[in-house]
Amino acid sequence: MSPDMALMDAVLGTLLPGEGAWPSAGDLGLAAEVGAELGEDGAALLAALPAGFASLDADAREEALRAIEAARPAAFERLVAAAYTAYYVDARVRRVVEQETGYEDRPPQPLGYELEPFDEALLERQRARQPFWRRP
Amino acid sequence: MTAALRATVAIVGAGASGAAVAWRLARAGIDVLCLEQGGWLDQARSPSRGHGWERALQTRFHPDPNIRRAKEDYPVAAEDTPIQPAAFNGVGGGTLRWGAHFPRLRPSDFRVRSLDGVADDWPVSYDELERWYDLNDEMTGVAGLAGDPGNPPRLAPRDPPLPLGEGGRRLASGFDALGWHWWPSDAAILTRPRPGRAPCNNCGPCGVGCVRGARASNDNTYWPAAIAAGARLVTGARVTRLATAEAGRRIGAIEFVDATGERRRVESEFVVLAANGMGTPRLLLASADAHHPRGLANGSGLVGRRLMHHPTAIVTGVFDARLDGHKGPFACALYSQEFYETDAARGCVRGVQLQMLRGSGPVATALGGYMRRIGWGRGHHREFARQFARTATLTVTAEDLPEEANRVTLDPVRVDAAGVPAPRLSYRLGVNSRRLLDFGIARASEALRAAGAVDVVVNPLSRQAGFHFLGTARMGEDPSSSVVGPDGRCHEVANLAIADGSVFVTSGAVNPTPTIQALALRMADAIAARLGREG
Repeated sequence: MSPDMALMDAVLGTLLPGEGAWPSAGDLGLAAEVGAELGEDGAALLAALPAGFASLDADAREEALRAIEAARPAAFERLVAAAYTAYYVDARVRRVVEQETGYEDRPPQPLGYELEPFDEALLERQRARQPFWRRP
Repeated sequence: MTAALRATVAIVGAGASGAAVAWRLARAGIDVLCLEQGGWLDQARSPSRGHGWERALQTRFHPDPNIRRAKEDYPVAAEDTPIQPAAFNGVGGGTLRWGAHFPRLRPSDFRVRSLDGVADDWPVSYDELERWYDLNDEMTGVAGLAGDPGNPPRLAPRDPPLPLGEGGRRLASGFDALGWHWWPSDAAILTRPRPGRAPCNNCGPCGVGCVRGARASNDNTYWPAAIAAGARLVTGARVTRLATAEAGRRIGAIEFVDATGERRRVESEFVVLAANGMGTPRLLLASADAHHPRGLANGSGLVGRRLMHHPTAIVTGVFDARLDGHKGPFACALYSQEFYETDAARGCVRGVQLQMLRGSGPVATALGGYMRRIGWGRGHHREFARQFARTATLTVTAEDLPEEANRVTLDPVRVDAAGVPAPRLSYRLGVNSRRLLDFGIARASEALRAAGAVDVVVNPLSRQAGFHFLGTARMGEDPSSSVVGPDGRCHEVANLAIADGSVFVTSGAVNPTPTIQALALRMADAIAARLGREG
């Protein structure tokens, strides 16, 4: 692994650290994908990190990233968007989403979900109302 | 140069209005040719078949052409507006990307000046338009329910309504508890089968295309029928200019660049612009010539002016139970028009619609889709679990009043792939619109609390809500204060008509597509009558 990839993994692991069943984004091999999405912004963000970032404790890593977020908000926002996207489309994370929230670990199609009949009884109060649209 | 294409009627744009016009004219036996800068979208291969569908919403299905930057798009100068453009190019236009919410304007929307003393009345009434609304519903395939006390009686929709889901049921109970109106959405989504189209299976992300053809888009409604009736469609055709003839009194040819890069022409008896309320004024302005130095059909100076959006606030409730909002078409469940009409006590005129949006997928939830982005770092997963699948949203759609300073012009620098200047959007949110949004935010928050929300999060103005471009070539009787007449024909160019939302006089507070298409069908019948054919 290149030094940049290792450093990006450390950044990802700080943005989305492991917690309970949730894996750390730094352990999923997402660095190349996120780096490619960011292009030059990614290299610039990594270059702005303090020396030894990966070996800092969690508080210090978060503090370092918050300083960069304040200094380069647009580029940092792109980093967060790329990280969240790569993380939440990852199959391993989808399994945890299902386990933790019940959201099925499968694409929307082709199965979809049951199209239950509309319950017109819900409209009882509305149907009792007189028309209130304005006649010109 | 390749010989010019010829047709009786040439249409620019194969979206909602162009498709309706093409079908109606072709069905009347008129030789129709349509130029579309995009191509056909293979919806059977929609990203909804894979986990990457949420990534697709941020890339090739992103609503903003400046972010999507597909080859069929054109750049939009949008630095001078808080509302960014949302437009999709292809056979079907914006309906390829839409949520398919399908309400009609109310009768009062056509009489704003008479009723409320603002803006202008339309030169057409709801009653006059009703039969084309009905025809458009039949062609589109609409699910919904007759009997809404907030709207005039109408024919029963073909299909029963979509289910509300748990979030919708809770919101309905909240509206009921407050004594406020709600009704199941009119949706351009099938809930029963139709030849060539399967009913909805409640999958959710309509915005990445519908593999079943349940969600109407004009590539699966009007276009198959139009082509069967003989209409011709040229895709990958980027129109560059309308060239006039007879001292500027008529359009002589449409100039375009075809998919191979060759510059070509279409010559026709009649031309219909259907390029949306941003693309149509752009073309009119870019076609200025010695006879029309301010742009075609622009003697009134109103081409591009009076731009109206539907300014949108987003109010989301977080509940303490699973609502499973990922199940079901994201934009179609229910709406409330309790506050649609003017009430002077609010300190503003006209009104708002509250429309339910269901939940977001995991990526959109994390990125803050309808709320705020979830913070990064320790605590992220706890907050994700608190929100995900536990939200329901109400959009507040405000009626935007026409203001001449809000406009589409040509950017002096940026051009598209064919060298046509990019449109520039200059827009400021009006005081009345802001007041309407603030009033609607307060009501939506009340409704969500009444429905049981434990937290309510407000986005006071959605940045990515420039999906409706209205009013930039308004219709009217008087050539000094309008661009087209009541039948959509330009006052100053005899064989040129406009079919898209440019012609709107006012915006109403609902999604405009049914009205755009009803007007387009009506206009097509007028053209057919002029050409001696029955509509």
